[in-house]
Amino acid sequence: MKRRRSLFLHLNQLKLLAKKFALVILFLAAIILMLLNKNHSLVLERTSGSATGAAAAVVEVLVIPAKILARGYDYLAELKEIKKDNKILQEENRKLRVLQDKYKALEVENRLLSELLNYVPLPEVGFVSARVVAEESNAFAHAVLAYVADANVAKGDIVIADSGVVGRVDKIADKYAKIILITDINSKIPVMIEKTRVRGILTGDNTPMPKLIFVPLDAEINVGDRVVTSGVSGVFPAGLPVGQVVAVSKNEIKVKPFVALEQLEYVRIVKYGLDGLIQTQESDTK
Amino acid sequence: MNEDFNENVVSLLQRLLPLISSIVLLLLAYLPVNVAAFNNMRPDLGLACIYFWVLHRPDLFNLTSIVVLGIVDMVISSALPGASLLAYLTMYVLLYNTQKFFNAKPFVVIWYGFIALSLATLIVKWLVVSIYYSTFLPLSMLMFCYLIGVAVYPLVSAVLAFVQNKFIQDEAL
Repeated sequence: MKRRRSLFLHLNQLKLLAKKFALVILFLAAIILMLLNKNHSLVLERTSGSATGAAAAVVEVLVIPAKILARGYDYLAELKEIKKDNKILQEENRKLRVLQDKYKALEVENRLLSELLNYVPLPEVGFVSARVVAEESNAFAHAVLAYVADANVAKGDIVIADSGVVGRVDKIADKYAKIILITDINSKIPVMIEKTRVRGILTGDNTPMPKLIFVPLDAEINVGDRVVTSGVSGVFPAGLPVGQVVAVSKNEIKVKPFVALEQLEYVRIVKYGLDGLIQTQESDTK
Repeated sequence: MNEDFNENVVSLLQRLLPLISSIVLLLLAYLPVNVAAFNNMRPDLGLACIYFWVLHRPDLFNLTSIVVLGIVDMVISSALPGASLLAYLTMYVLLYNTQKFFNAKPFVVIWYGFIALSLATLIVKWLVVSIYYSTFLPLSMLMFCYLIGVAVYPLVSAVLAFVQNKFIQDEAL
């Protein structure tokens, strides 16, 4: 009887101990997850990829009622402006036709000159338009989740919007792509000042304005200078508009992105066919 | 037999309701809103949910629920994997040890508790992630997130209290 009682007491103690250790184990698990991320673990990437697909689908369902309300409001607001917009568009169309003719002539001229110089053109560009279904913007991450369906999108593909670079694809999760924005702490893009061709790296710091680093000390950079991609490293092609210098101080140069990253509705995921530096562990092992 | 089965399903759903409501609120914070000001002020609703449920229904919202919520946040977020889980566990530990001060107290006291504990939790998360990246993450953004989280807590609390009073019946559990 005594033995049974002591055994029961031991079991209870063990249960309590396990309960206490559960918390320690979970804390350790959280830290291990962080460390695994540092090693770009393929298992972690694949598991989180499929889980993100499921979670994103739920977010998409949640977004439906909000979208219906917003669209209804937009429709009513647009009705007022429609006549004025029509006139502006007709005028714009007329100008664009003239430009189109000029462009065609330039294209022919460019082809002829390229042939004369034996110029090797950049690979063909293909792109996918994707709808943004979830956004994240806080001290810990700046990213969006976009619905890409079954389109051929891969990690490292460049994401742009109407006025410039948005970021790059970080993960593919089922039918969704996790895109890290140029303001995210993990984003580093080789850029240059358009006018002076001074090169540097645009790095996000989880604030709305990324900073320019690795710029030569004697470089002349002024507020208002346009920043474009430099094409170094072969991930981003040269010349894509990124942002504008808004603050130059002794310690840092701040750049305001051209794209309103907090108001993204649709993005374009572009395949430039460049063999960049971004590689998954899978491709490393091949 | 059929009635028993139905009762069991209802009982299970009621037990899972705190977790389900927390997941829905957590995902709501990721909805695209196309409003520049709001986009940089997204509160961490997961912390508010954990605070509410652990304080009011610790029997229905245990460590497992916190882990599930942490994993859901981890898969949807692009932040460092494990950081949210660590923050949620920190909140749980802090709340577990200070629960007696907030039990059966007026709402204002409970709110003060959330103000203090969520600040401590977010600072722990900020420190860990800053160490990981070897750079200090922007404190201003963290403070924005914290203040908005504190401001919306009464609303979150009202929603969760509604869920608790309307759908969770003690006698069914």
